[in-house]
Amino acid sequence: MEGWLTRIATNTCLNMIRSSKRRPEVVTSDLSDDETDFLETVSSGSGSQELDAEQRVIAVDLAERLLGTLSPEDRLALTMIDGEGASVNEVAEVTGWSESKVKVRAFRARKKAREALEKLLGPTGH
Amino acid sequence: MDNHIVDILDNTPFNALSADDLSTIHAHRSICADCADAWEAARLSSLLLHERVSDAAAQAANANPFFQTRVLAAWRAQQTSGAWGFRRLWNATGALVASMAATTAALAVLMFVAPATNTTTTDQTATLVPYSAESVVLEQDDNQLTNDQIISAIYDDDDEGK
Repeated sequence: MEGWLTRIATNTCLNMIRSSKRRPEVVTSDLSDDETDFLETVSSGSGSQELDAEQRVIAVDLAERLLGTLSPEDRLALTMIDGEGASVNEVAEVTGWSESKVKVRAFRARKKAREALEKLLGPTGH
Repeated sequence: MDNHIVDILDNTPFNALSADDLSTIHAHRSICADCADAWEAARLSSLLLHERVSDAAAQAANANPFFQTRVLAAWRAQQTSGAWGFRRLWNATGALVASMAATTAALAVLMFVAPATNTTTTDQTATLVPYSAESVVLEQDDNQLTNDQIISAIYDDDDEGK
């Protein structure tokens, strides 16, 4: 019963996200000064670092915009696996997808997010 | 750019990279700027995602404590309003449903009653008319021409024409 309800809720949310228009790619010119400073600060650091309250707000906003460029399915896979630490099997159970589909979605989303951030970091970093 | 490093970063969640993967990446990124950029972007992506998930969890924890109560109350209200919902539905579509039922009844009457009436009329006609097709064919009068007479009449006419 719980799995059935979870799957219905997941599919309903996916349909709602799908119906909303996908935002275009995040480009450097869209970034505010605070966001540019944040990227410079974070990319110059190493390893895991603690963010202050203001940086957290900027990070959440950037994450939202980054995820907004992905398809709902890719977004779900990336959020659950990389963000929440869920396993491929758990995502497959929640969504009803095959494990290979979950892996492909996560791979594709991870690659898109990495490439988008590389573009954003390009002019500022290194 | 070493695609092997990028493949590792794209295939594995950043926080799930093994010690071997990390040592391979660190050894390579010190000599490859592209792979260093890819590593930095993957690290930043993971950081952003974790901040977003943490923020969502904090919001869920601070959600309205009466949310569940309100949802259950709304659900019960919807359940109890089921009869009223049917009444509203009937008020909206009652005329249409009634007219459809009347049309169906009229069609049924036309289909089952009207053919029976026609059959009766045919029977009455048969009783009024003293002969039928069979009687015309089979019960011919002696006054009518026989086949031989007809044939001879036809050939006689032909002979006269010659």
